[in-house]
Amino acid sequence: MATWAERLAGIRGVLLDISGVLYDSGAGGGTPIPGSVQAVARLKRSRLKVGFCTNESQKSRGALVRELQALGFDISENEVTAPAPAACRLLRERGLRPHLLVHPGVLSEFEHIDTSNPNCVLMADAVEGFSYQNMNRAFRVLMGLERPVLISLGRGRYYKETSGLMLDVGAYTKALEYACGLKAEVVGKPEPEFFKLALQELGLEAHQALMVGDDLVGDVGGAQRCGLRALQVRTGKFRPSDEQHPEVRADGYVDNLAEAVGLLLQHGDQ
Amino acid sequence: MAARRALKAVLVDLNGTLHIEDAAVPGAQEALKRLRGTSVMIRFVTNTTKESKQDLLERLKKLDFDISEDEIFTSLTAARNLVEQKQVRPMLLVDDRALPDFKGLQTNDPNAVVVGLAPEHFHYQVLNQAFRLLLDGVPLIAIHKARYYKRKDGLALGPGPFVTALEYATDTKATVVGKPEKTFFLEALRGTGCEPEEAVMIGDDCRDDVGGAQNIGMLGILVKTGKYQVADEEKIDPPPYLTCESFPHAVDHILQHLL
Repeated sequence: MATWAERLAGIRGVLLDISGVLYDSGAGGGTPIPGSVQAVARLKRSRLKVGFCTNESQKSRGALVRELQALGFDISENEVTAPAPAACRLLRERGLRPHLLVHPGVLSEFEHIDTSNPNCVLMADAVEGFSYQNMNRAFRVLMGLERPVLISLGRGRYYKETSGLMLDVGAYTKALEYACGLKAEVVGKPEPEFFKLALQELGLEAHQALMVGDDLVGDVGGAQRCGLRALQVRTGKFRPSDEQHPEVRADGYVDNLAEAVGLLLQHGDQ
Repeated sequence: MAARRALKAVLVDLNGTLHIEDAAVPGAQEALKRLRGTSVMIRFVTNTTKESKQDLLERLKKLDFDISEDEIFTSLTAARNLVEQKQVRPMLLVDDRALPDFKGLQTNDPNAVVVGLAPEHFHYQVLNQAFRLLLDGVPLIAIHKARYYKRKDGLALGPGPFVTALEYATDTKATVVGKPEKTFFLEALRGTGCEPEEAVMIGDDCRDDVGGAQNIGMLGILVKTGKYQVADEEKIDPPPYLTCESFPHAVDHILQHLL
């Protein structure tokens, strides 16, 4: 395998996944991953550009940033690319009025969106909102539409909370896809459009940027398909079997964000 | 496929073939008696996710069918057999009415997940429990994978979407146990000691009854009752061995040509 210096040559900025890289979410605001608060601070002091790219759809971007700030992270709202604001743009562009299957914590992102007489279903990580009744309601809206449109904020399989691994929105998206015989449009990682948006906000080309994430398929595979390089951290939802995945191979595996940042500052272009 | 041999077993579907909801197919009780007058063994096979054998039996008795409990083989029986073969302790996501068919199985500290049609269990907390078990590598058994079904108040999600959700999240494949799976028919025949080439299946569902049975080398007879729609017999290739009006006609054919 190539040396770290070769693997990190030409990197001018990083995109950091949030959940599982900066912190593990959970009751009472979650817990920072050891070394991550300092690692973000080191990056911010370096010449590298720093952006955050998350599929978090359980809470608004503002609430997420406040939670992270309370844990000591140097982060602001305009540095975060999140799916709910991106989805709102898409809804407006296409004149879509969604039936929302989302967590109450993210509703504020949609307060200026027309939800009367819905002509699509938008689903996000609704957590307890994924009841049979709510899934059935969304199913019936879709079955009642002549041209059903299902929009999903991410299609993650699961994520880690302090209490353990939790089913993510992707599993429920798959359920509605199977029931209605359709394919959802995904806003979030691993969609190329979403990485492009994050790069645009960072002001870099794909080949100049490095993604750091705990999700091999969503973060690493998605970023690589878009032309970025990507590292997987062994925190969050990482499982040892990820390193033998048949299709996706990260540009490197590191124990945590602190190690990734150490390598970048040592070997990356300064 | 082995050469066809003398007929020794007849598998019969229930709803749509012997009866339609709470009404017997005209002449079906009589026809069953005639079939019992021969030496063939009879099994009644059905995809059910809610009704236990006892429920089915009570309905059949009310309609004057002469059937005993050990002749009935359902997708719930198939799931139970698989659980017993694998010697696992299932987390049962099935309707409460189906629980009698799983009586006696150990279910504490589960190391398998069985999914039927159970809207009351299909919500976040319970699915998350099932998901965590599956991620540890325990088997996922699906009674069937129907997308949706019709309720009095409209369409409602079936077990299929939730099975698919668990499959996707854990990157595994469920073992489906109901018709038209090969193992379903093989299991139903197991108790008779007959080979598929010695058996015939009678049902109203061209794909699930007839196609499934013919896939393992049985003969399939399609009856034009229950869910049968015109031209259903053209849905499978090879076509049904025989398509006829109803169960009594199927029995007549067996008596005249297959014995």
